[in-house]
Amino acid sequence: MSERTDIAKVEEALPERRSQLPMVAPAVDIHENDDEILLFADMPGIKKEEIAINIDNGKLTIAGAMKMEKSGAPGWEEFADVEYRRSFSIPQTIDVAQVNAELKEGVLKLHLPKSEKAKPRQIEIKAA
Amino acid sequence: MWTSVNDIDRMFGAMDLFRNRMNRLFTDFDRSYGEDYNWRLAANGAPRTNLYDNGEEFLVVAEVPGMSKDDINIRIQGNYLELSGTRKADAPEGYRTHRAERPVASFTRSFTIPSDVDGERVQASLKDGLLTLKLPKAEAAKPKQIEIR
Repeated sequence: MSERTDIAKVEEALPERRSQLPMVAPAVDIHENDDEILLFADMPGIKKEEIAINIDNGKLTIAGAMKMEKSGAPGWEEFADVEYRRSFSIPQTIDVAQVNAELKEGVLKLHLPKSEKAKPRQIEIKAA
Repeated sequence: MWTSVNDIDRMFGAMDLFRNRMNRLFTDFDRSYGEDYNWRLAANGAPRTNLYDNGEEFLVVAEVPGMSKDDINIRIQGNYLELSGTRKADAPEGYRTHRAERPVASFTRSFTIPSDVDGERVQASLKDGLLTLKLPKAEAAKPKQIEIR
């Protein structure tokens, strides 16, 4: 196939062309207790500045591009630069304002606290 | 047939996209990325690695997310490199687990480096879940400039 195009092209912002990095879904662990949902995601090589965490209309998206500094001729390559991306549906009961995230050793830890209303409550029976 | 020049541009755009996809297909296949990305990791829990050669030294990079430096053991002898370690469970107490995709396992993986390395001067660093080993080549294995007389 010829690399040459005779017609001047108009660069259109096609969503498919936004990035040439292969897309990879990070492996996650999800834990839950009465107060919060806790999410761990393996994203080796990613820097804090590169991660975007979005919550929109009950959909949580974690995304980020991993770029490595390389030097020299590759002998073997089992992994390369990738874009991590994964989406989750989160319940309405999550208090979006209180969500916080930590990144340590390539593992993203996301705390999704439940809103006060959604926490289980012990009902006391009053003596009549 | 073509209502405007824009349609032609659009067609070329689509063909470009298709070509890029095709080009990528082969590299993706080679690296077994995509759908089965986690398959290799899960197979024995051993990290994936890259090796680079920059003349003076070899660079080995391994993916070890969530591991601290105490969890990893590195052994080198001649051109034989052994990486071993344990991925501990980091699940907190008192939580129900809905999903557990991240491997919890110990692994050992050994490599044959293309030439002998100077075991005394090896440097290892751990950052953002990537382990980087700098393996300086042994004197005898270094590239030499030969002068023509």
